[in-house]
Amino acid sequence: MKIKSIVAIALALMSFASVQPASAALKVVTTTADLGALAKEVGGDKVQVDSFAKGYQDPHFVEPKPSFILLANKADLLIVVGRELEIGWLPPLITSSRNSKIQTGAAGYLDASSNVKILEIPTGQITRAMGDVHPAGNPHYWLDPGNGRKIAAAIRDKFSELSPADKAYFAQRYSDFDKRLADAEKKWDATMAPYKGTKIVTYHRSWPNFVERFGLDVIGYVEPKPGIPPSPSHTLELIDEMKRQNVKVILVEPYFDLKTPQSIANQVGGKVLVLAPSVGGTKEATDYITLFDYDVNTLATALKATTGK
Amino acid sequence: MDLTIFQLLAAPIVVSLIIAGIHAYLGLHVVERGVIFVDLSLAQIASLGAAIAVWQGADPHDPMVYWMSLGFTLIGALIFSLIKAHDARIPQEAFIGISYAVASAAVILTLSKATGESEHLRDMLVGNIVAVQWPEVWTTAAMYLGLGIFHYVFRRRFLEISMDSQAAAARGVPVRLWDFLFYASFGLVVTRSVAIAGVLLVFCYLIVPSVGAMLWASRIGPRLAIGWVMGGIVSMLGMYFSVNFDLPTGATIVCTFGLALIVMAALKPILFRHAVS
Repeated sequence: MKIKSIVAIALALMSFASVQPASAALKVVTTTADLGALAKEVGGDKVQVDSFAKGYQDPHFVEPKPSFILLANKADLLIVVGRELEIGWLPPLITSSRNSKIQTGAAGYLDASSNVKILEIPTGQITRAMGDVHPAGNPHYWLDPGNGRKIAAAIRDKFSELSPADKAYFAQRYSDFDKRLADAEKKWDATMAPYKGTKIVTYHRSWPNFVERFGLDVIGYVEPKPGIPPSPSHTLELIDEMKRQNVKVILVEPYFDLKTPQSIANQVGGKVLVLAPSVGGTKEATDYITLFDYDVNTLATALKATTGK
Repeated sequence: MDLTIFQLLAAPIVVSLIIAGIHAYLGLHVVERGVIFVDLSLAQIASLGAAIAVWQGADPHDPMVYWMSLGFTLIGALIFSLIKAHDARIPQEAFIGISYAVASAAVILTLSKATGESEHLRDMLVGNIVAVQWPEVWTTAAMYLGLGIFHYVFRRRFLEISMDSQAAAARGVPVRLWDFLFYASFGLVVTRSVAIAGVLLVFCYLIVPSVGAMLWASRIGPRLAIGWVMGGIVSMLGMYFSVNFDLPTGATIVCTFGLALIVMAALKPILFRHAVS
């Protein structure tokens, strides 16, 4: 009795579900929302873009859901951040997708990091004692608008290769994005200019490209080692160091616990800033340019209050 | 809904049925013995072995890690078979709880001292059933089949010591040895299942079918049959909900187990109206 009724309910539910309409657009799946935003800038309405990790999620850890496998199965192109950022969750997802187009190295697999500026590439032997270090360099490279431009160019080339008929369309969309980005960069540089050389602390090493671009100086991290939660002794050392160098601002990614950063800030009379490391990390950051608008303005406001410049 | 998703999920579906099969059986023993949380405890002891191997510099995917966790599981099995009725005033669950807490904390300490493998710790605790691949499914199937045959051959012994160990001891059965064999084989299964499906899900596969079956039947045979059917149906249904509402699969199956148990309890007075209680 029971089995039959459950099966009947299940079948009834299934029959309500709709079939997705087929579309001629290039189906693009990206691992992060930033790559998704850049793909939309270049692809316009000639591509259909879906992203796995939401902007407020830690891209190191993404819980695979059945819909991810389905998206990967249907995709013409998979764009990844690379540099081992997604190593914890993406490889089984690619295997499970059973989609030969998007396997590593295939035409439908684009590693966005291939021609961008990568920082913190470790030299010498890497051991696990160094923490969750990415041997191929820091994977948070999209937080430099210059890199964003290079990623967009790589996406344009890949789109043109997969969909040659729309080559001119992608080229035009890219140059439009390039122009808007260049205008925005002038504005961001002007906003950040007074704070060149200001010392800050960040939670995780997510911001090297961002701070390099805008001339800030990171003197320490809340994490003792990448991926390791704060320990008391490291926290005390950091507080001393911040007091000694008069550092007042701590940048935190939205997916980390604010307790330790907040208590450090209280000790040094400073401020905790939650910046968006990705598009969608805050509701204001709806695309690649508004992401920087938000981060630059939030940071500049805080630096103005703490430095008095 | 797009039905190709069920083809893509074939490996997770098959592995969930395999896990349901062996755990519904082992759950009978665990519930009979009244050691409900022993799987959490053994899984945590196994994680400690893995954590120590990682701390010693092994790569998380190194076979060394597996052997270490296996070694620790056997040590855990030895401990559990020795403490049984050591002092009748202290319930066995107390020792199990203590082992769980200490092993969990030791894992945190080991990993914090060693490395940045918080990722690995996460993997151990919340293995993701959606990410399972066919080779893992086959090795798991082969291993569980072997252990299943072992338990089938010695089924009377195992049931005897689980249901009334004092009577068995009185008949001259070496209870400690059989307890150890039980916990060791159980530990092997749990360690493997947890790595695939995560702690929460494995706990449910173990305990819920067995408890659900006890609501409806009292003899071992029917209880096992009900447990298997329930485990299978809940796996399928949970998988379906996970796809349909796009929810993380493991947690969805866990909640489906909870719902199924409520449904079974609610149906009990209707189905067994005429039964003598």
